[in-house]
Amino acid sequence: MDSMAEQLMEALMIMALGMGLVFIFLTILIGAVNLVAWKFAPKPNLAPIAEASEAQVTSFPGIDPKMVAVITAAVHQYRAKA
Amino acid sequence: MDGLIAFWAESGIANFTGPQLLMMAVGALLLYLAIARGFEPLLLLPIGFGAILANIPNGGFTEEGGLLYYAYHVGIETGVFPLLIFMGVGALTDFGALIANPKMLLLGAAAQFGIFATLLGAIALNAVPGFEFSMQDAAAIAIIGGADGPTAIFLASKLAPELLGAIAVAAYSYMALVPIIQPPIMKLLTTEAERQIKMEQLREVSKLEKVIFPLAVLGLTILFLPAATPLVGMFCLGNLMRESGVVDRLSNTAQNELINIVTIFLGLAVGSKLSADKFLQLETLGILVLGAVAFGIGTATGVLMAKVMSKLSGGKINPLIGAAGVSAVPMAARVVNKVGLQANQQNFLLMHAMGPNVAGVLGSAVAAGVLLAVLGG
Repeated sequence: MDSMAEQLMEALMIMALGMGLVFIFLTILIGAVNLVAWKFAPKPNLAPIAEASEAQVTSFPGIDPKMVAVITAAVHQYRAKA
Repeated sequence: MDGLIAFWAESGIANFTGPQLLMMAVGALLLYLAIARGFEPLLLLPIGFGAILANIPNGGFTEEGGLLYYAYHVGIETGVFPLLIFMGVGALTDFGALIANPKMLLLGAAAQFGIFATLLGAIALNAVPGFEFSMQDAAAIAIIGGADGPTAIFLASKLAPELLGAIAVAAYSYMALVPIIQPPIMKLLTTEAERQIKMEQLREVSKLEKVIFPLAVLGLTILFLPAATPLVGMFCLGNLMRESGVVDRLSNTAQNELINIVTIFLGLAVGSKLSADKFLQLETLGILVLGAVAFGIGTATGVLMAKVMSKLSGGKINPLIGAAGVSAVPMAARVVNKVGLQANQQNFLLMHAMGPNVAGVLGSAVAAGVLLAVLGG
């Protein structure tokens, strides 16, 4: 029974170590991704596109904004599949 | 007359043993699940057939010189097959959703708790008479919670080859069962209002970001966790081939022909490990139970972590996407999308769930690397 307790302790240690390492590793990766995004993200293009799509939506009052949302989501889903 | 007797003595009917028949029935069950029920057919079909072939008396398929023997010896004992598959998975994976919202990596990390909790569970199971899992065995079983077939096979082939058959079958069966296992846990841990949360549209990601990502992951692995380099390295190679855009031929081969060819032999080789003497044991039952527990815990911790992040972000994150943190790409993300739609007809979470989903692949590869580093010896 003693060795059982020892084994459980070891498993607990591995658990703490493992979860710790996984979190540290992926947290550093978050930092790395943010760093790359800060440098290379396509920011200047984003604003005009958003404005343009908003303008389009408002310039066609006949289209239900709900419908636009549905179509946008469908397009996204389709792109996600490809 | 002598010839007839000799023929009879060599026939299957005269040589069958009970356990072999039982294992053939297991193989047939896997074939049924693959063909009639559509459970991970790409793997369960060759595994099921391999199980039947491996249990044919006097067939000699799994003895030295037999096809299945070599498939196992060359591809799985060395770890080559799961790594080639991992390269293909890398070439199939689009990290765009994750790069747009890198915080999702935390969900991929949280869901790996299922792995380590199951490690504890497998050791605790030793208290039951009839179970004697070593720490290596326990780690190989626990990785089922990573919900990643190639990772599970790779780790099992390194740490507990004698349990490989049962572990691979459990891993792929539970991946097929994701749509059944996950939704009750997800609904139990979230409120109706939380499930209705809509998430902001993801930003655009530049090509350069996508090219740098696999290199960054590889760099971090080199620095902090070299034990994970076989898995992460092949994965990043596949992903870089995809995103660089200059080697479309290689990328297409990795995504299609190569992964398909390897899948056939991987399935057969895993099936060949389903021989009666190794599979028909109490331990197999334990592995199946532990695998389901691992899956459940991983889903739960992913959702709980997403709940915390949702609170901290002021309700901008839908906690459901945490469930996609166990890898099982893309099944888990589709399940999240489905449960989200049940709560709100216009809430499409698929893209948002792909982030934690691919983060889960990285998370389980890292977890496997940790287990290898600690227990590989």
